[in-house]
Amino acid sequence: MAIHMAKFAKGRCLATQKLLAEGFGLSFWLFFLFAIVSGLICYYVKGRVSFEAALVRDLSLLGSAIPRIIAAVSIAGLIWAILPTEKLTHYIGRDRGVKSLIVTMVVSILTPGGPSAAYPLLAVLGVAGADRGVLVTYITGWSMLGLQRILVWDIPFMGTEFSLIRFLVCLPLPIIAGLIARKIPMKLCLNDPANRAVKT
Amino acid sequence: MSPVIIGFYSLLLALLAYTYFRKDGSLTKGLNRALEQIIKLVPRMMCALIAAGFIAQLLPTELIASYLGADSGLKAILIAALTGMIIPAGPVVVFTLAAILAHAGASVQALIVFITSWSIFAAHRIIIFELPLLGQSFLKLRLASVAITPFLAGVFTIVVLFLVNRL
Repeated sequence: MAIHMAKFAKGRCLATQKLLAEGFGLSFWLFFLFAIVSGLICYYVKGRVSFEAALVRDLSLLGSAIPRIIAAVSIAGLIWAILPTEKLTHYIGRDRGVKSLIVTMVVSILTPGGPSAAYPLLAVLGVAGADRGVLVTYITGWSMLGLQRILVWDIPFMGTEFSLIRFLVCLPLPIIAGLIARKIPMKLCLNDPANRAVKT
Repeated sequence: MSPVIIGFYSLLLALLAYTYFRKDGSLTKGLNRALEQIIKLVPRMMCALIAAGFIAQLLPTELIASYLGADSGLKAILIAALTGMIIPAGPVVVFTLAAILAHAGASVQALIVFITSWSIFAAHRIIIFELPLLGQSFLKLRLASVAITPFLAGVFTIVVLFLVNRL
């Protein structure tokens, strides 16, 4: 029992360490350095007043962004956990009308996480027999309108109004892309996605 | 507290309660996933946001505004689409750059075209995920299907802004 618990604790600890290594990896330190260097240049070129103004504005932006990000990412994670992925993939694989493109787009918007979550799902859709329109709509919808990206990046960096306009303007585009894909006379032979999708 | 924050947290509470009562492990699964994403995203995002503010102070705003500003019309959309296409990096870099351009006076339509164009052409994603998982023929079909979308986004934005200003 004690050994089991020790093993579990060690596994948990390793997972946390790996996660922290990812969060504070090389790219974090590069951005950290970038922030410091740009701050120093700003101080020496534009003077103290500009430097302080920029710093105060940035910090207040961060203060409002962080609680929002934590909520947004948690919402996305929980929705992902309760989404009936199998049922949806099945449905999307059957239908050939515009309705399937709309359902696909909603699923793509709700898919949380980065490309390492979205592309394997795309490969699975391909295996499930989804047509080319659905595949193009899915990956276009995820990359343009992904909810997590909008909540984490668009809103804090660009503001709520801008994000709303962008969302509305881009909303028809994944479906248009899917319809174009169905009409284009191009050959499509997917890369043996069955095996690869299972691996990733 | 802003209404956005209140909305977010009410939704989060509802989801927490719902997943708790489902008792199928979706609560732990969802929260683990969220924690992972937060640790991956937040540290880099903080640095990027701070750096963006400093750089915005340094940039020659008039020059950028003359290329990407509201007065440069279709030229701005074309430049924005091309710039978005060639950036092979994730959202940290792209949104930092977009925020800097916004401070510097780039127009809303140019920024929307820039972000849209990046989101569909992001070269690093094509190389790391799309080619190995889906293959070349899918990439070609997809690019042919989405090539027009950044320009549609630009035109739609101009129309929406025009309508909003008329109201």
